[in-house]
Amino acid sequence: MSPEPTASRPGSTRTGPGRLLIAIYALFALAASARAGVQIATKFGNAPVAYLLSAFAAVVYIVATVTLAVGSPAARRIAVLSCSIELAGVLAVGTWSLADPATFPDATVWSGYGSGYGFVPLVLPVFGLLWLRRWSRRSGTRRTIVTSAGDAGDAAGDGADHGEGGRRGRGAEDVAADGRT
Amino acid sequence: MSSVNGVVPTTIIVAGIALAGYALLMTARDRRMSVILLAALGVLEILLLVQVGIIVAGLAGGERPAGLATLIGYLIAMPLVPVAAAFWGLLERSRWGPAVIAVAGLVAAVLMVRLHQIWPVIRV
Repeated sequence: MSPEPTASRPGSTRTGPGRLLIAIYALFALAASARAGVQIATKFGNAPVAYLLSAFAAVVYIVATVTLAVGSPAARRIAVLSCSIELAGVLAVGTWSLADPATFPDATVWSGYGSGYGFVPLVLPVFGLLWLRRWSRRSGTRRTIVTSAGDAGDAAGDGADHGEGGRRGRGAEDVAADGRT
Repeated sequence: MSSVNGVVPTTIIVAGIALAGYALLMTARDRRMSVILLAALGVLEILLLVQVGIIVAGLAGGERPAGLATLIGYLIAMPLVPVAAAFWGLLERSRWGPAVIAVAGLVAAVLMVRLHQIWPVIRV
């Protein structure tokens, strides 16, 4: 396979800006897992809620890293989900940690909206979702042509299966096309 | 002794931030990974290895920080940062290669600050 100009048309979510995104996600996956592992192993009783949330954050970061690196349509859907959970988690835990500091005698990755990590945990899922949306739009355009070429019945069937994708602002046709690849 | 030990982490912080600044400039100018960036990563790697040596020497001398497990994690992670960045920079033949290296420079600087929080005794 001949190399293509990656700048204009990335072959996958793992190329171009995606490479930077995955590097930062991998970093956070590593940092959060190591931190949660040490905390749970050595002093779980001190702040169980905080440490369990750290572990949960670690899992979310690992899933996002792997799915962004894989980049298949199915992986991208999981990546959208994990980035959404991540964003919701940062906002929820950030608010919770400010409203009820007693539950968090020790910090989590998401405490204070990720202030201990330069607010990167707050910004990262936003860029992740923007990147995934850009990529799915790009491939959606290409696949729409494939869909219109035939298999309308097949696409409609898949569209029903993946109907929940519509609320993320993606057309049912895009989702249906994704489902067929 | 303590004041001398502070020189290496300070150098790493300055070098890391300088590397990040230069790499971001390359990203902004739409340049790929260059030999200069690769060499700078090599220098950063050597500095980090020196820092690892200083910490290991401290541990061998019988000193123990409160968060020993975390410190050992840092000892393993620190030398991997420039190596991983170099690989990714070489893989990504676009402006985003230097961007990954910029992250590595900042991470090296942040690691030194965290290291100081974990084990202030050795003045890192």
